[in-house]
Amino acid sequence: MQCHEFEQVLEQQEAQRLPADAAAHLNECGQCRALVTDLEVIQAAARNIAAEEAAPPEQLWLSLRTRLEAEGLIRTEEAHAWAPRRVTAWLSVLPRPALAGAYLSLLLAAAVLIGTQVISRPPSRAVPSIEPPAATAALDSQLNTVERRTVSALHQHNPAVTASLRQNLDIVDNFIALCEKSVREEPQSALAREYLYGAYQQKADLLAMMMDQGAGGD
Amino acid sequence: MTQKLQIARRVAGASAALAGLLFLAPAAPASAHRIEKHYTVDGRPVVSIRNAHGHIEVKSWKRPEVVVVGNHNSDKVEVDTEQAGNRIEVTTHILKENLKPADLQADYNLTVPEETELQVRTDSGMVIVERVFGDMTFDTVAADVQLREVAGYLAIKTIGGSVVCTRCIGRIEVNSISGNVSLLQPVSSSVRVQTSSGHIYFDGEFHRDGIYSLRNYSGLIEVRFSDTDSFDLTATSLQGKVENQAKLKPDPHGGRHVSSRFTTAFGTFNEGHAKVELSSFSGTIRIRRRD
Repeated sequence: MQCHEFEQVLEQQEAQRLPADAAAHLNECGQCRALVTDLEVIQAAARNIAAEEAAPPEQLWLSLRTRLEAEGLIRTEEAHAWAPRRVTAWLSVLPRPALAGAYLSLLLAAAVLIGTQVISRPPSRAVPSIEPPAATAALDSQLNTVERRTVSALHQHNPAVTASLRQNLDIVDNFIALCEKSVREEPQSALAREYLYGAYQQKADLLAMMMDQGAGGD
Repeated sequence: MTQKLQIARRVAGASAALAGLLFLAPAAPASAHRIEKHYTVDGRPVVSIRNAHGHIEVKSWKRPEVVVVGNHNSDKVEVDTEQAGNRIEVTTHILKENLKPADLQADYNLTVPEETELQVRTDSGMVIVERVFGDMTFDTVAADVQLREVAGYLAIKTIGGSVVCTRCIGRIEVNSISGNVSLLQPVSSSVRVQTSSGHIYFDGEFHRDGIYSLRNYSGLIEVRFSDTDSFDLTATSLQGKVENQAKLKPDPHGGRHVSSRFTTAFGTFNEGHAKVELSSFSGTIRIRRRD
C-alpha cells in the first residue's frame, strides 16, 4: 500500500479500525504514523474546543463554515448540521493539508475568542500586569507541538525553500515573542493584542503551508 | 543608506532583473525536455499552474487559445498539461526522491487570451504576468511575483517572495511574511497588504471611497501622495515612528481615537474621500508628498 492509498483509507476509517493492509502500512511508514498522531492530537484538541464552556458565537462558526465551503472542503448538506460539537466529526474526513489549516484556524479562532473575552473584562487593581491568557498559552503549546512535527517532516528537495520556511518561522516566532511582551507591558492595548493574534494567524498559515510541503512528496 | 533608497533600489533591481530575464530568454540554451501544447478555448479560460521551482511567465494575446511551453532539464520531473473544457491545468510532477535542487527546475511560458483567470502556485523562482485581465491567485514560498498591467481580483500570498505590482487594476490583496511589497501606480479602490518583516511601498492615486490598508510588524511602510489626493489617514506605529508630510485637518467624519502612547498621524487631507490605514508594530511609517 502506498501513502496516498493509506490516506484514502484513513479518510474513510478511524485509525483504530484500519483494515489489515492499512495497519501493516502504518507499522512500516513513519510518515503515515506521524499523520495518524497528528490526527489524534487534532481530534483531542477539537474535543477540548467543543467542550469549552464559552461557546464561540454563531457568526464565528458561520464565517469559518463559509470559508471551508468556498474552499470545497465541506459540502452544503453537511454544513446544515454545523455546530461546534460537530467539529470532531468533519475534522476526521478532511484531507491532511486542509485539515491542518482548518485545525490551526480553529485553535486560533478559539484563542481569539477567549482572548477577546479577557480583554473585555475590567482590569483588576490587584494585578499590575496580566500574563497572556491561558488560551494563548494553550495555543502556543499546540502550535509548538505542530511546529516540531511539521519541521521534522519537511521535504528537503529544495534547500532554498526549506531554508526560507524555517527562516520565516523564526521571524514569526520572534514577532510573537515581541507581541507577547508588548501585551504583558500594556495589557489594555487592543492594538498590541491585535498584533499578537495577527502573528499567531501568520504562524498558523505558515505551518499549514509547511504541512502541505511535507505532504507534497508522497 | 536610507531605507527609502533601499526600497527604491530593490524595486529598480527587481525591474532590472526582470528586464535581464526577458532579454536573456530567447538566448537560453535548449533544454533537455521541451513540451509545447495548444488548447483552443471558448470564452474566459481558467489556467492553473503548479510548479516547484522555476521561471513562469504569462502573457496575453487576442486569440482564443492557450499555449503552454514547458522546459525542464531533468528527467526526475515531468510536465503534465491537461484541458477540461475551459480549464487548463499545468503541473510539474516530481518523479523521484532525493533530487538535487537543479533537478526541480521547470520553466514555463504561457500565452493566454487577454481575459483569463489564473491560479499559480510555485515554491521558488519567479512569476511574471503581463497584460492579463481576470481574477488571479498566487501562492509562493520564496518565488518573487511581478505583475504588470493586470486587472481583476489579485490575491497574492508569499512567504518570503517579493511582490512588485505595476499599474495593476482591481482589488489587491497581498499577504507575506518577509517579502517586500511594491505597488506602483495601482488603479484600485481596495488595497490590503500585510507583511511581517518586509517593506511596503505604495505610490499611486487614492480613489474616491477607496480603502487602503497597509500593515507590517517591522520594516518600512512608505506611501506617496499628491496635493490633489483626498483621504482620511490613520497611521500608527506601536513602537516605531511615523513621519508625515501631509498637512492633516481634524477628521470631520469623527475618526476613531488613537492612544497618545503610540506614534500616530491621523486626520483628513483635502475632503477625505478615501480611507488610508497604515499600521506597524515597530517599523517606520512614511507619508511623503510625491515629487
